[in-house]
Amino acid sequence: MCISTYIHVDASLLTIQPASAEPIYRQIVEQLRRLIAGGQLPPGELLPSVREVAGFHAVSPMTVSRAYSLAESEGLLERQRGKGMTVAAQSKPALGQAQRLALLEPQLLALARQSRELELPAEPVLRRLDKLLKE
Amino acid sequence: MNAVAQAVAVESAAPLQVSGFTHRYDAKVVLDKVDLALQPGSVLGLIGRNGAGKSTLIRAMLGLLIPESGSAFVFGEPALKLSDSVKERLGFVPQQPDALAWLSAAQMFDYLSRFYPKWDHRFVEDTLGRWKIESNKVMAKLSPGERQRIDLVRALAPQPELLVLDEPASALDPVARRELLREIALRAGESGTTVLFSTHIVSDLERVASDIAFLHDGRLLLNCPVDETKERYARLWLPANVAAAAPAAPLGKRRHEDGSLSVIVERGADGAWPEATRLPGARVDALGLEDLFVEIAE
Repeated sequence: MCISTYIHVDASLLTIQPASAEPIYRQIVEQLRRLIAGGQLPPGELLPSVREVAGFHAVSPMTVSRAYSLAESEGLLERQRGKGMTVAAQSKPALGQAQRLALLEPQLLALARQSRELELPAEPVLRRLDKLLKE
Repeated sequence: MNAVAQAVAVESAAPLQVSGFTHRYDAKVVLDKVDLALQPGSVLGLIGRNGAGKSTLIRAMLGLLIPESGSAFVFGEPALKLSDSVKERLGFVPQQPDALAWLSAAQMFDYLSRFYPKWDHRFVEDTLGRWKIESNKVMAKLSPGERQRIDLVRALAPQPELLVLDEPASALDPVARRELLREIALRAGESGTTVLFSTHIVSDLERVASDIAFLHDGRLLLNCPVDETKERYARLWLPANVAAAAPAAPLGKRRHEDGSLSVIVERGADGAWPEATRLPGARVDALGLEDLFVEIAE
């Protein structure tokens, strides 16, 4: 039998923007997806309990629980009896580059649109982005 | 109905139910055929501009005001004739608490705790300490913010099953406000407390509310789950040359100076946006609740 140690991540791992047009449960699922895809949340990692997340962010436990269930149904998370939610073992530690890039698509679309609105040519925007990425 | 059957009916009735509320102050209609029901364990945020009728609706719901027409039930009992056993399950914080002002907070809590079997002494002590409330000063001498904090503690201490808060956060600083929201979220989620709170600060309710209701000019314009509201409505912007093809928009329509048009659109049953969103130059913007509210209320 293998004994695994669970590293405990706390609720501050997630950021929640209540005023966003994206419902809070979706914000949580998308963040989990990115953190798992990027390997920051490795398989087996124990997630903070529903109560911890709800209490920390002052959001409804039902919202958190809805997010966890959705992430579970998508195979991102796994319910461990008596322990809570963990990152699913079979979820690949890191997605391919193209898949990870696809997760950034909404943010890239927003950036492109705002650059056009500001009538900025591509070059200075890309230069700035390049600098930020290397930080 | 025998006593047992009646007790069961009261037990299983919606915590709060209102139908056909209409009310006028002088000639001005403040409530116009309002229907509203709260499901157990839900947190309903009632949004409306100042003077939209929020306090009138809340007071009428609880039987503190007799509306011109319509009826209200609290746990199945007519709001105008609540029994003590239903009152025990109900906590209400008015916008401007003024009861028992000649007592200190400590004296009031000591007095009230005798009437409520589930009074949570530890919660009272902890919260008074954290919120830095002077519990030995006569309440009449405290600031409105301090009075409101005391009244929130007073309403939460008996562990009510239905909590009604009229603009609860208006006099709280950001830290106390966050704490109140946490308390509301956890009580509703874990103890099944049903909560109704009114506010004109939309961000307060986005965190904890499961449902929202927009009260505008005495009418309830929207009443749905928060997540669904965000996913179902958006703002469609149409340039001037195609503005004539705008869909009917009962919720909000604005013509801009350059002839372009903004309308609030709703997804169809199949989840798709209306045809007009595919017009050339059309743009669909997702809306937070605050933007949606402003579009509707303007």
